[in-house]
Amino acid sequence: MRTLRNAFVLGGALAVVALLSTGAPAADKDQVIKDRQAQMKRQGGDMGAVKGFLEDKNDLATATTKATDLVESIKNIPTVFPAGSDGPNPEGKYTTKPEIWSDAKGFSAAVDTAEQKATALLAAVKAGDKAAIQTAFSDMGKNGCGGCHEKFREEIKK
Amino acid sequence: MPAAAAADNAAITRGAYLAAAAGCDQCHTDSKNRGAPYAGGRVMLSAFGRIATPNITPDKTTGIGAWSDRNFGQAMRWGIAPDGTHYVPAFPFPDFARLTDADLADLKAFLDSLRPVTRSVAGAEGLALAERARAAIGVALSDEPRAPGGSAGSGDPAIARGAYLVDAVGHCRDCHTPRTWLGAPDPDRDLAGARGGIWGGAPNITPDAKTGIGGWSTDEIVALLKEGITPDNDFVGGAMAEIVHNTARLTDDDRRAIAVYLKTLPPKAFDKSR
Repeated sequence: MRTLRNAFVLGGALAVVALLSTGAPAADKDQVIKDRQAQMKRQGGDMGAVKGFLEDKNDLATATTKATDLVESIKNIPTVFPAGSDGPNPEGKYTTKPEIWSDAKGFSAAVDTAEQKATALLAAVKAGDKAAIQTAFSDMGKNGCGGCHEKFREEIKK
Repeated sequence: MPAAAAADNAAITRGAYLAAAAGCDQCHTDSKNRGAPYAGGRVMLSAFGRIATPNITPDKTTGIGAWSDRNFGQAMRWGIAPDGTHYVPAFPFPDFARLTDADLADLKAFLDSLRPVTRSVAGAEGLALAERARAAIGVALSDEPRAPGGSAGSGDPAIARGAYLVDAVGHCRDCHTPRTWLGAPDPDRDLAGARGGIWGGAPNITPDAKTGIGGWSTDEIVALLKEGITPDNDFVGGAMAEIVHNTARLTDDDRRAIAVYLKTLPPKAFDKSR
């Protein structure tokens, strides 16, 4: 997991350097957005696995692995939003709000909140009490994932 | 406890549940600036202009503490303030017109039980006169307050309850239905999604397979209302993230009733032009 995280950080850092130094070639930007979406979907999958445990669809070991991955993945969020990577996701369903960069402090605070809530969720999953997991899951979903999506993601009206 | 006081408490409890379900506090609280709940002052950008929501705590001068039951009913159902001025339908009175008399009374009992907060709000600041005139015409032309619509008359109590929650209490069509030129929800496009509208649009929530939620199971709709999670494990953002804070306060039975009702709606394809 550590290696994976380092790879993410390195990748993100390289992307930032590339964007800053070359003025963001379109292909690189596309890749950054694609990677970003892949990470978001992975986090969604992690949450889905915890939900699956709450619904007796998978075991605690799977939920623990996924909740661990969620915490690690969220720490990398700042690296997948380098300056100049604004724009719609590949399906054109959502786009970034300019506040991600114009209110960098607010964005960073929202990511920190998500990380705290994910960490609390992981602790609850490890303890194995379903009621506590349910509470932490709701909090993470609404105020972690949803908290960021509420302020920094925009739906594209087609 | 005397019987009368117990009855009052029961009304307040029921009213609190309705207020939570309708999300009165979402709009009527200036959360961004740590304003007191229900004391108004939240600035909202609508198609009608910039609106600062009013104080609905029972403060006699800056809130609604001096309102009679009749004043309250007129405001909730017809969008007419005690001084005779018209609200723009950013305040969802066309939906609240469907609330039962008993629920209106409970809501008022709850609001009256709040701590009065003195806070003046310049609600209509910058709101064009034309918009107010349009709202007045819209009210004049609108139907008498109606009973809940849809398939509410099918006899299934869960469907009827769902219809009431969607149509009246939850005022879902405020965002999910496009507007007519008068600013009223277009009945022909009910809940079929809107690109613009008052608050910037929302998706189709009729059971159309392609553009609506036809592919969603009842459980998936319930999960969205409870957790904000979509069938593909995404978490809703924007205005719906706020609404989920309201629907999360409902009972499981009420969330299920909403889901069951939505699935009975006639499927309509999303109209890109609306």
